[in-house]
Amino acid sequence: MPSFDLLVQAGSVGILTGGVYALLASGLTLIFGVMKIVHISHAAFIILAAYLTYFISRDLGIDPLLTVVITAPLFFVLGMLVQRLLLSRLRENATMMSVLLTFAIAIVIEGGMGLLWTSSHRSINVSYGDSAVNLGDVRLPVDRILGFLLAAATLAMLFAVLRYSRYGQALRATIQHPAAARLIGVDAQTISAVGFGIGLATAAVGGAILAILVPFFPATHYAWIGRLMAIIVLGGLGSVGGAAIAAVAMGVIESLVLVSMDATWASMIFFIVLFMTLALRPQGLFGGRLAERF
Amino acid sequence: MTYFATKELSRAFGGVVAVDEATVEFQQGKVNGLIGPNGCGKTTFFNLVTGMIRPDGGEITFKDGDLAGSRPHQVALAGIGRTFQVTRLFPRMTVMQNMLVAVRRRSIRELAANAVRGDDVARAEGWLERVGIEHLRDTEARDLSYGQQKLLEIAGLLMGDPELILLDEPAGGVNPVMVERISTLVRELNAEGKTFLVVEHNMEMVMSLCDHIVVFDRGAPVAVGAPQDIRKDQRVLEAYLGG
Amino acid sequence: MQNASRRRVLIGLAAGVVVILAVTYPWIATNPYYRFVGTMTVMSMALAMSWNIMGGFTGYVSLGHSAFFGLGAYFTGITVTRLDMPPFGMAVAAGLFVAVLAVPIGYLALRTRNASFVIVTIALVYITGLLAQAWRGLTRGTAGLSLPRLEGFGRDDIHIPFYFAFLILLAIVFLVTWWISRSRFGMGLIAIREDEDKAEMLGVNTDIYKLTAFVASAAFVGIAGGVYAYWYSYLDPTFVFDVGIGLNMILMSLLGGIRSIFGPMLGALIIVPSSEYFLAQYGGSQFHLMATGLLLAIVVIVMPQGIIPAVESIIKRFRAPAPSIRESASESSPPPQPTKAAS
Repeated sequence: MPSFDLLVQAGSVGILTGGVYALLASGLTLIFGVMKIVHISHAAFIILAAYLTYFISRDLGIDPLLTVVITAPLFFVLGMLVQRLLLSRLRENATMMSVLLTFAIAIVIEGGMGLLWTSSHRSINVSYGDSAVNLGDVRLPVDRILGFLLAAATLAMLFAVLRYSRYGQALRATIQHPAAARLIGVDAQTISAVGFGIGLATAAVGGAILAILVPFFPATHYAWIGRLMAIIVLGGLGSVGGAAIAAVAMGVIESLVLVSMDATWASMIFFIVLFMTLALRPQGLFGGRLAERF
Repeated sequence: MTYFATKELSRAFGGVVAVDEATVEFQQGKVNGLIGPNGCGKTTFFNLVTGMIRPDGGEITFKDGDLAGSRPHQVALAGIGRTFQVTRLFPRMTVMQNMLVAVRRRSIRELAANAVRGDDVARAEGWLERVGIEHLRDTEARDLSYGQQKLLEIAGLLMGDPELILLDEPAGGVNPVMVERISTLVRELNAEGKTFLVVEHNMEMVMSLCDHIVVFDRGAPVAVGAPQDIRKDQRVLEAYLGG
Repeated sequence: MQNASRRRVLIGLAAGVVVILAVTYPWIATNPYYRFVGTMTVMSMALAMSWNIMGGFTGYVSLGHSAFFGLGAYFTGITVTRLDMPPFGMAVAAGLFVAVLAVPIGYLALRTRNASFVIVTIALVYITGLLAQAWRGLTRGTAGLSLPRLEGFGRDDIHIPFYFAFLILLAIVFLVTWWISRSRFGMGLIAIREDEDKAEMLGVNTDIYKLTAFVASAAFVGIAGGVYAYWYSYLDPTFVFDVGIGLNMILMSLLGGIRSIFGPMLGALIIVPSSEYFLAQYGGSQFHLMATGLLLAIVVIVMPQGIIPAVESIIKRFRAPAPSIRESASESSPPPQPTKAAS
C-alpha cells in the first residue's frame, strides 16, 4: 500500500491528466449526442493531430501547444467534410453502421499514418518537459499543468459556444430532442456537420497536448478510444459536462491504481468502471433520458 | 372478480406527472372506451398496463392477478394484445410472416417443436381473410397502405388469442370507410367474447362503438359511464374545452 | 410444376459439387501455402457464420466476438499445456467454456441497445486481452503460450487435419443457421431485429431469445478459437484478442449479405483469398489495414445489404413483372405513411 503522500501526489497529477481526458472525451460525447453515432475514429484523429503537431512544431519551430491555431480550424473543416462526404451517406440502421464506418475510417487513418510516418514511437521534447512546480508537498510537472490549462481553456470555449452561440444552442436542442429541433428549423445535416467539426477541433487540441505528454504511434488510437468510451459512458452519453466530470474522476482513479498496482491494471480500471456503470446505472452519471434507449 | 382495473397507478417523467394515481375499472365483455384531451395520459396509461414502462406506484389487476412490474411478453401471454398509436409492424417481413410472430400460451412441448406449424399458417390465413388482406400475404409490410397496415396490426395480435384487446387510436389517420370497417370488426369480435379497451379521438366512433367510457384528464379519470351520460357530463366538457 | 422441381435438382447438383470440391480441396491444392489459405478461408467462413447467428438475425452488431475467440484459444492452450488434455477435445470443450461465460456477459451486455451495446462488446475485447496479459501465471502473458504440434503429419500436410476440423465446424454452424432460419425461434429473432418492442408485445421473450443467440454465436467462435490455438501452436494476447478479428467477421458477413444464410460464407470466400494474395504480393500490413478499411467503408455506404440480396433483386427484376397491387374497392386510402422501423 503506497504512502499517503504518494497517493496525494498521484491524485493531483491525476486531476491534471483528467483535465486532458475531459477535453478528449468532450468531442466524442458531443458527436454522440448530436449525431447518435459512436465515433470510433475519434482517437485516430487525435493521434493524427499529434503527428501533425509533431511535424508543424518541428518544421516551423514553434511550441507544440501553439500549433493548435493551425490544426484546430483545419480539423474543424476536415470534420465537416468527413460528415458531409461519408457519414451523411449512412442510410438504414445508422447507429450500428456508423460504428463500422467510423471503425473503417479509423483503420484507414491508422494505415495511412503508418505508411507516411512509419510505426516508430514519436514524442515531442519540449524545453519545459522535465521541469515541475511544487505546490506544497506535491510536485506537478509543468507540461501537464500547461496541458491542463489549455484543455480547460478549450473546454471553457466549448461550453461558451454551446451555451451562447446560435449554433451551440441548435446543437444542444438537437442533443435533447432531435425531432423538436427539426421542427423549429434546425437543419439536421448542417448541425451534424458543425457538431462533428467542433468535435474534431477539440480532438486537434487534445492531440497537441497528448503529443507533449506521451509517446505515440499509429496503433495508439486503440488504447485511447477504449478509455474515452469508458469515460463517456460513465459521464452519460451525450452529456459534455458529465464527460468532463467523469474524465477527471477517471484520471484520478487511473493514477491511484497506477501507483498502487501496475500499468495493466491502470488500463483495466477503465473497463471495469465501464462494466460497473452499465450494470448499475446504464445512463451514466448525467445521462438521464437521453441514454435510455442507447 | 375484478376483470381489468388499476388502483392509484402513477407515473411521472422528470417533473411531468403523466398518470396521476389513476383508479379505474374496465368491464369484461364490453367495448370500453378511454377518451380525453391530448396529453391526458392515455398512451402512457396503455404503456403502463402493457408493461412497456414501469409504474412509479399503484396496482394493475387483470383477472385477479397483479400485472404491475410484468414485462410486455408476460402481459401478452396473460392474454392481452395491443396496437400502437403509430402503427408498428415488422417492415421487412411479409404480411404472412408478420402474422406468424405472435406467441400463444403454449405448453413446453409445443414450444420445443419450434417449426412453423401448418395450423398456424391456416389460422393466419383465416384472420387475413377476415380482415380482407389475404391477397397481400407475400407483400412486405412496409409496402402496404396505411389502412392495410392497421388491419394487419390487428390481425397479427389476434394470432396470440388475446381475450383483452387494447386499441390505441385505431381510427387515427384513416378514411371513413376504413373506420367503419374497423368498427365492424371490433363489434364482431366483441360479440365473440373479446373485451376491448379503445383509446380514440373520433367521437362518432367512440359513441357508437363503446358500451362503457372512461374520461381521462391530466393523468386521472374524471368521469365514467355510458356514452349518453358522458356526452352530457359537465366535467367532460370542461376537460376538453377548459383547463 | 416442372420448373420448381427442375430448379431443385439443379440446386442439389450445385450443392453436391460444392461439397465435393470442399472435401477434396486439400488434394486439389498442390502446395502447402494454398492449403494454408484454404484452411484460413474455411476458419473465417465458420467465424463469420457464427457471428451472424447473433448479428444477422437479431441486428445486434457485436464487435466483441474476438474476446470469445481468444477465450476459446487460451482455454485450449492452457488445458493442453498444463493439464495434458487432448487438443481437439479441448477445442470442443472450449465451446462449452465460452458458452458458460457468455451467459453472464450476454446478460449484462444485452441490457443495453444499439450504441451502448457496441461499446460494451468492444470493451469486452479490451478487458479480456488485458486480463490475458496481466495473468501471466496462467497465460504466460506476452511471452506467449506454445502448444505442442500435431504428430504424424509432415510439414507439407500439417494443414490438412485443421482444414477438416474447421470444415466440420462450418458444416455444424451452417446447419444450425439453417435450422434457425426455418424455426419459430428464428422468426422471433428477426422480429426482434425489425421491432424489438413490438415483438415483446406479441409475446416473444426477447431477453431469452437474444441471450440464446448470443451464447450460441459465442460458443461456436470459441470452438474455432480452440482449433486455431492448436493449428497456429502459439498464442499471444495482442494477436488473439484483436478487435480486428471480430471486425473481419462483420465485414465478411456484411459483404456477402447478413440476412442470407450463405452471405457470411460468400463474404469470407471473397475476402480471405484475395487478402492473402495482396499480402503475399505487396506485403506491408499498413496497406492491408487501409484496404480493409476502405472495403468496409464502401460496403457500409454503398451496399449495406451485401452481395446476395443485391444479386437477388437483380434476378427478380428479370423475372415476371410484379402483380399490380389492386386496391380493393373500399380502399380509397390516404397516401401510405412510413412505419417506424426499430432504431
